[in-house]
Amino acid sequence: MQSSRETLDQLLDGVARGDEAAFAELYQVTSAKLYSVALRILRNSEAAEDVVQDSYFKVWERARDFDPRIAAPITWMAAIVRNRALDEVRRRAARPQADVAELDNIESDDEHPVEVLGRREDVERLRRCLEGLEAEKRQMVQLAYLHGLSREALASRFGHPEGTIKTWLRRSLAQLKGCLEQ
Amino acid sequence: MTELDDIDGLAAEYVLGTLSREERAEAAARKETDPEFARAVQAWERRLGPLSETLAPVQPPPGLYNKIRAQIGLASHVVSLKAREQAIVRRGNRWRSMAAGMTALAASLAGVVGWQDYQRRQMPTQYVAVLQADKALPAFLLTVDTQSNMFVISAMQKPPEAEKSYQLWLVHDDMPNPKSLGVFDDSEMDVRPMTPPGKMHDMMMDGTYAVSVEPKGGSPTGAPTGPVVFSGRLVKATP
Repeated sequence: MQSSRETLDQLLDGVARGDEAAFAELYQVTSAKLYSVALRILRNSEAAEDVVQDSYFKVWERARDFDPRIAAPITWMAAIVRNRALDEVRRRAARPQADVAELDNIESDDEHPVEVLGRREDVERLRRCLEGLEAEKRQMVQLAYLHGLSREALASRFGHPEGTIKTWLRRSLAQLKGCLEQ
Repeated sequence: MTELDDIDGLAAEYVLGTLSREERAEAAARKETDPEFARAVQAWERRLGPLSETLAPVQPPPGLYNKIRAQIGLASHVVSLKAREQAIVRRGNRWRSMAAGMTALAASLAGVVGWQDYQRRQMPTQYVAVLQADKALPAFLLTVDTQSNMFVISAMQKPPEAEKSYQLWLVHDDMPNPKSLGVFDDSEMDVRPMTPPGKMHDMMMDGTYAVSVEPKGGSPTGAPTGPVVFSGRLVKATP
């Protein structure tokens, strides 16, 4: 998010007090990011619009529950959107799977320079830690987090049993946690 | 290596999004009653949250804000420039940071998100193309992620008629004919490795992506035969 954390903290504080102008500003500076989050997970523009609408409703209702000591405002809002989008995508019938063969062709990106952005410290730290994962596992984490793939969908895409995927995901997450806590 | 205990592992996968519908529902209920689990979920939201910040923004449809206001029970309105100016004056000590927000908004509206010099010097990790008809909902979202080297095509809409397919093309002045990038019959996602650096890679980065309506299964001639309904180009995105 381009807006500073302080701006968003103040806007959410205003929203908690029922300030409509603060809500309008909050929508203006966050909606494109949150719509993008929903769109990728749902892969349906109308469903994404519904999820974002519900999410802002919830932000309006629950802004007073927001605790800046626990989460950054954009993280709090994105979590609301992601949870709704994931619930919705799981509720819908299983989606068609893309060609598994296409994924077999994904090269390790070790041969290509990995570009790192240094704008935000936490973004960069997570990036560095993701780079510590094997290429396939990093892709699994990104496809799950950003595109909403379930264990089942990952199993079919990567051609491994669900149990294996679960083990790999938990190991990868443990590795990420260890790396982030360093 | 660090191992996750059961609570932390479940919280991690809940936030990652890989649980089934039933497991998600159980975890969501547990979050409300088990403070230790709720704290573990919050910690994972903090850890993984920055991933969302790497996504390129996509402007939602223009009517969305008024729908939200209506749901909240506020009168539908358009924030006028005058009202905004007054708001700026009222919150004078905040105006600088708000102006920064507005600049960011303007930048994202223009499709150019980099807004600080030092950022521009860095290669962004993501490029995105939103293919849509004029002012309509996004129909296709293309993402090139240079970190994971993935090219992700998300089709968001079904073709208008059951016996038709959408076909995605890359169009470039340096190519005599459009190149087909796939046929889509439903909302679906296609992940492929990004083409390695070279001529094709360059054309993919600065060409135009177009979607035509074709007979079921794709164009019989290998070139677009139906009308082009959506198009767009990749733009840089920075977190």
